[in-house]
Amino acid sequence: MTINRATITTSITRLTEAMERDFDMLNTADGALGDGDLGITMLRGMRAINEDIQGLPDDLGLALFQCAKSFTKSSGSSYGTLLATGLMAVAKTLKGKTEIEAAQIGNLVSVALDQMQARGKAQLGGKTVLDSLDAVAKATYNKTDAKDIADAAATAVDTALKEFRNKKATIGRARIYAEKSIGLDDPGMLAMNRIIKALADRQGTNNNNKTE
Amino acid sequence: MKKILNKPENYVNEMLDGMISAHPEYYNLFGDSGKVVTRAKADKNKKVGIVSGGGSGHLPVFTGYVGRGLLDACAIGDVFASPSAEQMADAIRAADQGAGVLRLYGNYGGDVMNFDMAGDLVEFEDITCTTVLLADDIASAPIEERENRRGVAGMVYAFKLSGAAAEEGRDLDGVTAIAQKAANSCRSIGAALSSCTVPQAGKPTFEIADDEMEMGMGIHGEPGVWRGKLKTADQIANEMLDRLLSDMPLQSGDRVSVMVNSLGATPPEELYILYRIVKQRLEEAGATIIMPLVGRYATSMEMSGVSFTLCKLDDELEKLLKAPCDCPFWKIA
Repeated sequence: MTINRATITTSITRLTEAMERDFDMLNTADGALGDGDLGITMLRGMRAINEDIQGLPDDLGLALFQCAKSFTKSSGSSYGTLLATGLMAVAKTLKGKTEIEAAQIGNLVSVALDQMQARGKAQLGGKTVLDSLDAVAKATYNKTDAKDIADAAATAVDTALKEFRNKKATIGRARIYAEKSIGLDDPGMLAMNRIIKALADRQGTNNNNKTE
Repeated sequence: MKKILNKPENYVNEMLDGMISAHPEYYNLFGDSGKVVTRAKADKNKKVGIVSGGGSGHLPVFTGYVGRGLLDACAIGDVFASPSAEQMADAIRAADQGAGVLRLYGNYGGDVMNFDMAGDLVEFEDITCTTVLLADDIASAPIEERENRRGVAGMVYAFKLSGAAAEEGRDLDGVTAIAQKAANSCRSIGAALSSCTVPQAGKPTFEIADDEMEMGMGIHGEPGVWRGKLKTADQIANEMLDRLLSDMPLQSGDRVSVMVNSLGATPPEELYILYRIVKQRLEEAGATIIMPLVGRYATSMEMSGVSFTLCKLDDELEKLLKAPCDCPFWKIA
């Protein structure tokens, strides 16, 4: 399977719908450990990207760069900026290409992860969105079939949530509530869970905001 | 929530609208975001630009200090929320006169990420940027982890000192070096007596009992060193000075400026009660006080409480501190 402009616009629509549905849940999760605006940040960001969807270029690099800029304009939230940073890193790699193979996804996730880690000055293992992306990068590495990649990515974000749920938050505002954060999903990881599942079109399998 | 406002979501835009209407000879809006403030008269004399930014709710920080001998432009976000990278990029564009732009702001994760991102956005427009972060709040991390400290009222000194250096015509490296020296010379600590409410949240950021105070609390309600019964003014001042002087010891002959700053609701009367002890302790340490600042310089809306900032001066910094500046909140002729 190849990924082109049409794949991107379909994904944007699916992701915007997912955020319209989940923003309240994400606000609540964020409110327990932070300022409670993560859902609205994601929703505003996706709406901004969606508004500019008609003018999305065929060049995948330029298309993702446009998405990053739209998202950045909509909010100053660190989470939004981190996502835009990842998008811009991927955009640079894809500049000049109008289609790529699904097999490249694992590698592109790593590219985004590296740049986000540099910008966020955070380490892996700190119970952040980086750990979700790391799980996705590892699970999709070397996979070539689009369906396998989607399955592996959706499973990876679930596993990551579960694995980190009982750890302490180490960075950002949630760090202030380190003890309280044990047993609660990191809001950024939870948001990435929903993002990846929407992108992978594996949304039927979500039951992760419940503590097991 | 008991606040004078219309709709919480319009709080910042209406505040800026009023501020610019009141002081059109000083301020102007730049770009289409409505949240980037520049000097009304940008003197295009090829001086180094200085930008700052961060969340609203701290006036006169940040936008208040846009003016001659201080800042060139500011991007501000919603209350206690970082502006977007695009707004910061606009502030950089507005401040650029071809001699480069210093980004000078407090060490908060979101602001750092967005100002870095803003740097990426203007990189293609041939604007050279440098960065100096304020990390003066001694209660936010031990001295061994100084780079993790948050920036508070000390940034006012950094705005003033680097602003004067830019006005003198120093180049980007020179202005950046002064800003870094100012940042290194400042130490602050705060104590809070009551909370504050972010308009869009609608309820107080934290709870604190009527008879309690919190030593070392941050300007957004970040947890401090201890919470307990409210002490007397002299006890509070002495403890704050103990902490500051153990972080940055002063010797006989040192020159230091000191800011006794209201976090918003605390009246000047109480600041002057505190200042007696500040003066006594600094003089006991053998230091000479240069240009003490007592008033509201960096606030957290209606929080009651106080912060002290010490800024150690050498000949160069003393001269820059005394140089002229002009904004509605601070004038030196």
